[in-house]
Amino acid sequence: MKRILICLLALILVFSFIGCSKINTMKRIKDTNKIVWGTNAAFAPFEMRQGDKVIGIDADIAQRIADKLGVELVVEDMEFEALMSALKSGKIDFIAAGFTVKPDRAEQVLFTDTYFTAVQVIMVTQDNEEIKGPDDLAGKKIGVQNATTGDFVASDIEDAEVERYNNGMEAVMDLKNGNIDAVIIDNLPAQLLAEKNPEVKILDEKPAENEEYALAVRKGDTELQKVINEVLSEMKASGEIEELVNKYSIGD
Amino acid sequence: MLEGIFKVLSDAIFYNLIREDRYLLFVNGFKVSIQLTVFAALIGVAIGLLMAISKLTNNRILNRIATAYTDVIRGTPSVVQLIVIYYAILGSSHLPKILVASIAFGINSGAYVTELIRAGILAVDKGQMEAARSLGLSYYQSMRYVIVPQAIKNILPALVSEFIVLLKETAIAGYIALDDLTRAGTIVRGRTFDPYTPFILVALIYLYITSILTAFMGRLERRLRQSD
Amino acid sequence: MIKVVDLHKYFGNLQVLKGVNNEIKKGEVVCIIGASGSGKSTFLRCLNLLEEPTKGEIYIGGVSITEHMKDINKLRQKVGMVFQQFNLFPHMTATENIMLAPVRVKGMPQDEARKKAVELLRKVGLPDKDDVYPSQLSGGQKQRVAIARALAMDPEIMLFDEPTSALDPEMVGEVLAVMKQLAHEGMTMVVVTHEMGFAREVGNRILFMDEGIIAEEGTPEEMFSNPKKERTRAFLSKVL
Repeated sequence: MKRILICLLALILVFSFIGCSKINTMKRIKDTNKIVWGTNAAFAPFEMRQGDKVIGIDADIAQRIADKLGVELVVEDMEFEALMSALKSGKIDFIAAGFTVKPDRAEQVLFTDTYFTAVQVIMVTQDNEEIKGPDDLAGKKIGVQNATTGDFVASDIEDAEVERYNNGMEAVMDLKNGNIDAVIIDNLPAQLLAEKNPEVKILDEKPAENEEYALAVRKGDTELQKVINEVLSEMKASGEIEELVNKYSIGD
Repeated sequence: MLEGIFKVLSDAIFYNLIREDRYLLFVNGFKVSIQLTVFAALIGVAIGLLMAISKLTNNRILNRIATAYTDVIRGTPSVVQLIVIYYAILGSSHLPKILVASIAFGINSGAYVTELIRAGILAVDKGQMEAARSLGLSYYQSMRYVIVPQAIKNILPALVSEFIVLLKETAIAGYIALDDLTRAGTIVRGRTFDPYTPFILVALIYLYITSILTAFMGRLERRLRQSD
Repeated sequence: MIKVVDLHKYFGNLQVLKGVNNEIKKGEVVCIIGASGSGKSTFLRCLNLLEEPTKGEIYIGGVSITEHMKDINKLRQKVGMVFQQFNLFPHMTATENIMLAPVRVKGMPQDEARKKAVELLRKVGLPDKDDVYPSQLSGGQKQRVAIARALAMDPEIMLFDEPTSALDPEMVGEVLAVMKQLAHEGMTMVVVTHEMGFAREVGNRILFMDEGIIAEEGTPEEMFSNPKKERTRAFLSKVL
């Protein structure tokens, strides 16, 4: 046991120092002529797969950022929970992934301006008469996508058993199979999921305060943050963001 | 410098283990992983025994079933098997999730155990069966009293090694939202945004369990060799 | 006791036995000699159906065993077999090796079976090897335990498949001595062997097999001093 502990401490040290090495993001973007966007392409309509491409609201925003910098956009599609680690360790340059602004996240990364107000919703099966709102969720089995806002909301519900899936679709599947009582997820993907699965419905009562989505860059990358903020304000002013939301929210 | 090192370490431990009682996630994940492995191993050995016998008999139908089973299971990724069994085959069975997962991993492991047992039985000298049969023992009695006891010696060490593989295989349980040890690592990672520490911890816990199994296997092999 | 009529055996396309006919009487000791590949071991193994005859009939005690394949385990209780490679069960002691069949097949109580095993070990000259595992025995000792094991089922016939071929020369004698003793007690024995001395001294009748048939047979005197066929003579001149 002692040996294991010493191993642990040594490894943490080694990796911490690797992780600490300074990265000059803007210079690297210019040198390699590309910018790396990190996302989890299982969160329609913000990001999803079409063929081998990642499309969605965030995808179009990311493309505009790359265009503004005059470089190529490279997408890294990974597990949602791994995004922050990937950003911190320099594997990606920015996160655009339906990413909610939260204080504990802000301790670790630098957020841009917000571009979307997200609403968390509760999904249950059509025949469910028991759960009518967030107050009925205590002690229930709640499905969420691992490490998303829904996960944090559900984790705060009293005595609730939180089942963490890799994506919302699997959570809804298990809801239909009767293995969980409810799903907490962002409103937009919920609309799409409810459209495809007529057996489930979205409740009117919301389980949490509204959330703001923003992009995120590494701490200290203020130059990149500024570029992204410019892109966002342009898109907001021209009504483009709203257009994108409408475009992608219509299911296929 | 020393102060810096101390801060890095104490922060890592505080955020990944102590804050919000995160160590509990690892403790529970550890329990889930062990339960999964033990149940799946039991199911796997039971299936493996049945299928190995099916493969060794002269019954064509049993032969085909067993061959199809091992071919399909060994030829497809275990993640796919787990998801298909959990969401589709046993989707609306309402069995406890850990049981469904154990069944899925048991079915997976059973295919490898089948081959282990089959090879172990075939490795017993042909003369042993002939000697037993020539004394008037039935096929079943010959298997039970003569062949299987010798085959177990061939099989046991490999079986322990299969259990080690199985333990690590259960790391995909997170795909069905079952919080095993690896998933505990991803959850903590999603909370602390610490890229390495939770997984280093998880890896070392796995290493600790497998090193116990490896030591056990070594002792077993030595004992079996002595009795030869 | 044993009657063999027109016995044929194929392994795939290879014909090993090409019509063997013979009759072995109760109490007879028959030695089968011949070059390797002549089919003598296959013939012996057919007698307790370790090899299934392709064609032909075998009668034991007047009953056709080829027609009663289902009662195969009953038949084998009457026919003991000793193998070239001993085939003792390595995970059992000498006593346990001998006890297994009486206990499991005949349902003999453990105590009785153990007593019988001890007696049999004494009979084959191994009174102090009760609880010894096969790996601790010499080749000659192993073969004597194997004979005791076969005798434990009180067989009417004993088949020996080259029982001394895998032994070091100095151990051949002890095994042959046990077999000689068995012969004197009136056991019906069929022995495939290369030990011409044993065949001449103990055998009542010698069968010379060549290319899947019994090429010549006769008493030891006839066969060893005055073989009729050229092939028999050629074989004997090589081994004697």
